[in-house]
Amino acid sequence: MEPTNPLLDDYLLTLTRSQQPRILFLPTASGDTNTQINAFYARFGGRACQPTHLSLFRLGDLERSLEQTVLEQDIVYVGGGSMRNLLAIWRAHELDRMLTSAWQGGVLLAGLSAGAMCWFEGGITCSSGAPEPIAGLGLLAGSLTVHADGEPERLPVWLAGVRDGRLPGGWAADDGVGLLFRGQQLERTVSSRPGAGAQRVDALAGELVRHRLEPELLGAGEQRGPALDDDVQELRRVHRLRREMIGETHRFSDP
Amino acid sequence: MEKDGSILDDYVLSLTGARRPRICFLPTASGDADHYVVRFYRRFSTHCEASHLSLFRRDQGGQGVEDDLAAHLLSQDLIYVGGGNVVSMLGVWRAHGLDDVLRRAWRKGVVLCGPSAGSLCWFEEALSAFHGPPRRVRGLGLLPYSNCVHYDAEPARRAEYHGLVGDGMRSGFAADDGVALHFKGTRLERVVSSRADGSAYRVEQVGQEVVETSLEVCHLRSQALTMDRTVAFA
Repeated sequence: MEPTNPLLDDYLLTLTRSQQPRILFLPTASGDTNTQINAFYARFGGRACQPTHLSLFRLGDLERSLEQTVLEQDIVYVGGGSMRNLLAIWRAHELDRMLTSAWQGGVLLAGLSAGAMCWFEGGITCSSGAPEPIAGLGLLAGSLTVHADGEPERLPVWLAGVRDGRLPGGWAADDGVGLLFRGQQLERTVSSRPGAGAQRVDALAGELVRHRLEPELLGAGEQRGPALDDDVQELRRVHRLRREMIGETHRFSDP
Repeated sequence: MEKDGSILDDYVLSLTGARRPRICFLPTASGDADHYVVRFYRRFSTHCEASHLSLFRRDQGGQGVEDDLAAHLLSQDLIYVGGGNVVSMLGVWRAHGLDDVLRRAWRKGVVLCGPSAGSLCWFEEALSAFHGPPRRVRGLGLLPYSNCVHYDAEPARRAEYHGLVGDGMRSGFAADDGVALHFKGTRLERVVSSRADGSAYRVEQVGQEVVETSLEVCHLRSQALTMDRTVAFA
């Protein structure tokens, strides 16, 4: 979710067969901040989809089992934050296993920043302060580093990791770039911003071999169908408010 | 940090023996929720050297403790663990090596305390149920017992805990809201309560049966006491 640019999110919704895809947001990497949850509903609430979120800090809100909740989605969308915490919390709740099953069952897995890198064998995290290599779930072969332009201190750490073999070869993506994989295969590279790029980097005999990828710029043509009717949007707003009010009363422990 | 009054907080502070205790707050179980951190500083910053440690925003600096987390925690008089989801908290702690640091702090004599998840985490096993279906959870294991909190908050809690103990979970301690179990080393030293009617229980398997024994509770007024070590409260 880029704050002012919905192109990648709109593109995501075109990738499933459903007219109203069920999209589940996992704000785990942020510590389930309301800011991130609200931004998700602000973006997806008025679009042709069925948005919900899953907080692993407030499981009291959950009506079905974690596994059911994950498996019944069309899209799982993972927010950014601490990749180390994200993976640790998922593992503690066995969500890593459930997400793998979901992926094998055809659920589209998506995310930004930590939520993008987590699917790969490795990435670069600032979870402990300075950027450093970290292992991911390994659903996708190779490594990914994000914010190649926005947080330039990550890139040299990633390149060094690929060169010395601590990380497998992989992709570096600028802000606004989306990499679409089908199975293990990179199928398409898209971008919401003119000028944003990506590169594939591998180590060959201790040298880095870099290939620049030219993303396709997303435009109005990628957006799906007409916007929702006003009354549907109104109903969604009511549901959202109700959910927020329930959320308030179920807040994590007030000792 | 109960909403009404700070009598358990005062009790815990008195255990440090320090005039102006160094106290560090770990809000991990809440996902480092801002409002909880603010509440902590409101409560403690006037009469303590208060700090907090955020494990979600270590790259952003300027807020909580950065750099050498271990050195900071080991130099505290009191470590205060906030409530929330104990499973998520333990996962994050282990990923940052904090489980080991807290074990060292405890051996060094730092007082460890906390409500809810901040109580369950010190025990070998715990019943986590406040934020989802009841679940048997492995804690840090400083205290070789099991623990159940909010014992009076939901009618099903007692049966769930008895069921788990009968099913092979370690014997342990259950506490009502507002009741604190004070351990010195691994020995229960005292049970204190901020409420007139709060109770705590020893729950253990004896033969084929699960036996619950009511513990003597000291109902706190504003008195100063000096003792040390782990205080787990519901």
